[in-house]
Amino acid sequence: MTEPFSTPLLLIGILGTAGAALPLLGIARRDRGSHLYAAIALGALAASLALVGYQVISGVAGPPAALPDGVLADDAFGAVLAAAMIIVALISTAGSIEYMRKRSAPAVYYSLILLATVGMVLVVYSADLVMLFVAWELMSIPTYVLVGFNKRNPGSNEAALKYFLFGALASAVIVYAISLAYGLTGSTNIGEVVAGFAALDISMVPLALLSVGLFIAGFGFKMGLVPFHQWLPDAYEGAPAPVAALLAAATKKAGFAAAIRVVVMGMISLSVDWTLALGVLAVMTMTVGNVAAIMQRSVSRMLAYSSIGHAGYILVGLAVAPHSQLGMQGAIYHIFNHAVMKGAAFVAVAGMVVALAATHMDKLAGLGRKMPVTSLGFVLSLFALAGIPPLSGFWSKLVLFEGAIDAGSSLWWAPWLAIAGVLNSALSLAYYGWITRRMYFEGEREKRIAEPRSIAAVMIAASVFLVAFGIYPEPLLGLASSAAPLIP
Amino acid sequence: MATEAIGGDPALAWLVWVLPFAGALVIPAVARLRGSPAGYAAVGVALASALCAASLLPGALGGAEVHHQVSWIAAVGLDAGVLADPLSVIMANVVAWISLLIVIYSTGYMRGERDYVRFWFWMLFFIGSMQLIVLSDNLLQVFFGWEGVGLASYGLISFWYRDKKKDHVGTEGRTVLGMLDYYSPTHAGMKAFVMTKIGDIMMLAGMFLIFAYAGTFGFRELVAETAWAAEMSAAGLLVPAFVLLFGGAVGKSAQFPLNEWLLEAMTGPTAVSALIHAATMVKAGVFLVARIGPIVFALGAAGLLADQFFEIVAWTGAITALLLATQGMVNREIKKVLAYSTGSQIGYMMMALGVAGLSHQYADGYTAGFFHLVSHAMFKASLFMAAGSLLHVVGSRFMDQMGGLRDRMRKTHAFMWAAGLGLMGAPFITTGFWSKDAIFAAVYESGGWWATPLFAIAVLTAVITAFYTMRMIGMVFYGPKSAHAQEADKAGLLHEAPLSMWAPYGILAVLTIGIGIIGLSAEEGLHHLFDEYLVHTFGIHSAHGEPSGLPGFLSALNPAALGASLVAFGAGAGLGYIFYVARWADPARVVGSNPLFRGVHALFLNRWYINAAIYWCFVAAPLWVSRAVYRYFERTAVDHGMNIGLERAAGWGARVVQGTQTGVSQSYLFVFGAGILFVVMVLVI
Repeated sequence: MTEPFSTPLLLIGILGTAGAALPLLGIARRDRGSHLYAAIALGALAASLALVGYQVISGVAGPPAALPDGVLADDAFGAVLAAAMIIVALISTAGSIEYMRKRSAPAVYYSLILLATVGMVLVVYSADLVMLFVAWELMSIPTYVLVGFNKRNPGSNEAALKYFLFGALASAVIVYAISLAYGLTGSTNIGEVVAGFAALDISMVPLALLSVGLFIAGFGFKMGLVPFHQWLPDAYEGAPAPVAALLAAATKKAGFAAAIRVVVMGMISLSVDWTLALGVLAVMTMTVGNVAAIMQRSVSRMLAYSSIGHAGYILVGLAVAPHSQLGMQGAIYHIFNHAVMKGAAFVAVAGMVVALAATHMDKLAGLGRKMPVTSLGFVLSLFALAGIPPLSGFWSKLVLFEGAIDAGSSLWWAPWLAIAGVLNSALSLAYYGWITRRMYFEGEREKRIAEPRSIAAVMIAASVFLVAFGIYPEPLLGLASSAAPLIP
Repeated sequence: MATEAIGGDPALAWLVWVLPFAGALVIPAVARLRGSPAGYAAVGVALASALCAASLLPGALGGAEVHHQVSWIAAVGLDAGVLADPLSVIMANVVAWISLLIVIYSTGYMRGERDYVRFWFWMLFFIGSMQLIVLSDNLLQVFFGWEGVGLASYGLISFWYRDKKKDHVGTEGRTVLGMLDYYSPTHAGMKAFVMTKIGDIMMLAGMFLIFAYAGTFGFRELVAETAWAAEMSAAGLLVPAFVLLFGGAVGKSAQFPLNEWLLEAMTGPTAVSALIHAATMVKAGVFLVARIGPIVFALGAAGLLADQFFEIVAWTGAITALLLATQGMVNREIKKVLAYSTGSQIGYMMMALGVAGLSHQYADGYTAGFFHLVSHAMFKASLFMAAGSLLHVVGSRFMDQMGGLRDRMRKTHAFMWAAGLGLMGAPFITTGFWSKDAIFAAVYESGGWWATPLFAIAVLTAVITAFYTMRMIGMVFYGPKSAHAQEADKAGLLHEAPLSMWAPYGILAVLTIGIGIIGLSAEEGLHHLFDEYLVHTFGIHSAHGEPSGLPGFLSALNPAALGASLVAFGAGAGLGYIFYVARWADPARVVGSNPLFRGVHALFLNRWYINAAIYWCFVAAPLWVSRAVYRYFERTAVDHGMNIGLERAAGWGARVVQGTQTGVSQSYLFVFGAGILFVVMVLVI
């Protein structure tokens, strides 16, 4: 059972209190100036990060259990992923400071980010399906509002509506999957469900498979897996750019965390050959994401497709998980890296929105001279996304694909996943390279313009992260391997 | 983390190479401060790095070793580490202190130059990379430094990328076999980069070959356990792997047949020539051979003979030494003479390290080669910096546009004599004499069929060396002033360089003589140190030579080697004196007197036609092929076939995906539902 002072509860305390207090403060102050709210949100997030970081680094968080009992599992898996979520929330909050300066209701905005973060954190710590569902909704509902936060902007409204529609459908699918699982096993604890699946009568197995399939579909919606991805580019494009960062880099990853906890474990117990299903989804997802990204003219839409592509890479790790320990490690490692890379890339877009009021490709010409810091951080994140050494993204892709090759000893087609991944990475360079060319090799003698400071700071921090952990990847690799649950 | 810290703090060893890198990163920021303090910051960084290196000296001279590793990429079992043993610590100090002097010199030499920041960035980046090579404990990390110095070298050779006429090397319009012998800085930079890259690729191949068998890149790990070598030997790969590694050294140290880049590298600022293309980077190859040589030799003791490796090293060195020395005799450009001389002297070092492995007294040749490396670093850096002063003052790179400068530049004159005597190997008072004599002795005593021809080549090269050095000094400082020099004199340009420039080369020139006077005991000390080091680390015991019959302090010397040294110096320097200092005879008339001399002169001046042949085979011929491919394949098959096809395919794919992205929620929901069915079906099937 969960102890009163376990990490997830403390995090709820910190983030939830701040999240609840902000709107009240906003009413009391009548929305004078948005910096105070941002500062409070940043403070709460930094405190949470410090708490989780301490857990991770000191090793207080216990080793991840494959099948934890209780409602919340206070383990290293949760801690590492929670750290990733909180980092994204930090990036996106910091990136919002300039963005929100001129907009209404900043207190509510920051409060919603904090509440969504609470939801994400709880998702990754959940060990019970009901808890997971509650956390899932806690994560989703604030983001529906956030996507539609520019309420006078029809694009933003449409995005929010689509996102909500699909979110509701996905939630319904998940609830149905939970009800099937409960009906079959009489429990909502993930560990007991999995154990129950394993002991299932043969005639009941198809129902269990249906339940797992529905879980995949429900979580796949958040993860952006093809064919559950179509809402995603529309929503990311319409959402305020810092919110897109939160969606692409964090809530998407919460979907993966849930999938690891539920789907992977559940399917292992059912001992069906599900690697093929996930493998097919992985290749479809990465190919569709990258091919579609090539032709995009809007940077945020392109990044949205790129994040679909990355969901495909991560799924490779889940697909080969039963055959290679590296699969899970690579997935967690890439989730962590992607959080920073994609978060920084979207915040760079936020910078463009603030400074140029545009996200169209053609506006990028000469950006390298106009906004040198933002551009450098942007290019570094793009190159890291493409997996160019020695940036951090290279190593996580390496581990993922190494896992696929490693699994080749027991699964003949697994190495083809790695080949598909490498080909897709090469394909992705086409559009990352295009952006880079626009920014640095086109445009007349542009004058430098003022860059939003907090966004530049995020860019610098992300660049340092990507380069430093690219040259010295050991700490992150260590984290990923300590967080990966051992497959029984 | 494994720490084995006897005799020094590992943090200091790390700092030796980390500091310059950090310095390189902050230099652009520092340069923005008022009063352009970039130069002083660079001096500060170089000094700090040098002090860290010096702090390692006491331990290393006591025979202790600092070996410190941190886990780098555990997933593939890679560690990063520093290895400060006597070899690397002495080398690190040579690099650090000479770099410091050259950095100080550069503050004067580069004053008023555009792109000051770029210069300092590359200089510090270079020092960091070089120290990374020196202090690494494994081949992979060495390779990182190796590429770093290559990159810095490229950046600095092409530093004057505007390709002004004065920054070229060679004589404008001159061709050899139809190939232009006149190079711009940007061309020279590329040439250096490409040529050394050939060596680098060989090195990479050798490295990974060894890794494939040994599962480690670590120098100490390779010695600790030698089953890998037995396996490689059985597969016939042991010698090839080490020869491939040596290929890297050949490229970096400008040895035959990858020697031609070094001459064009003289397009860089002279401070760069001194630092990179004389004193340090080109020594990286020698250092690498000194690093892996004992490993190979120790394997020999375990019954895995790899004599061919040492034979290849020795002969490569010998051929280079002679080949480049002959060309140094006839060139008109002062920096190119020094460059030829550098390649030639490095040939000596390689020769020594090679014969060491072929004899029973490994420590003799090993010490001789390394000692020559140290002494050469001092006098060659000094000569280069002095040449830089001359260029600065006279405004020409051609020696026949100088002449008679001794009364205008007294200090430079004196220092160039001192350092030049070192290069010539003036008996008993210069480091160059002792180190060269040690090489002679090592070659002579090595025994075997190769000893005699190698010895002959070594002595002949020494004669030539003394000759061209004397020629250089004579042409620059003696005789009447050339027309160009007179003009410069009238304009009041002929004067001594500023203190920040002459002091560094003065210090090194004085050291050449100062250490030369105690040279014999310095060498014996080094010999003793290396003897212990080789026994301790590699288990290599060297037989001790019998005392020769010579009297007094000479008793440790080999009489034949000593005699040869004296004769070579006398003959070479004497001839040089007659023609160029005293000017009793006109060299042009002697060369023109008969067809044989004319032919030999042309051969030497045209670089033995090797450079032209390389350009025909590797530049001209591939260009023909590429034009043919362009016309008959690319314009047709690729441009009209593949490109359009691929483009259409990608465009079609993207349109298909976009077509599904209708923006209509109903259709999305339909796809979502179909997706659920699809997943469940895949699962059930």
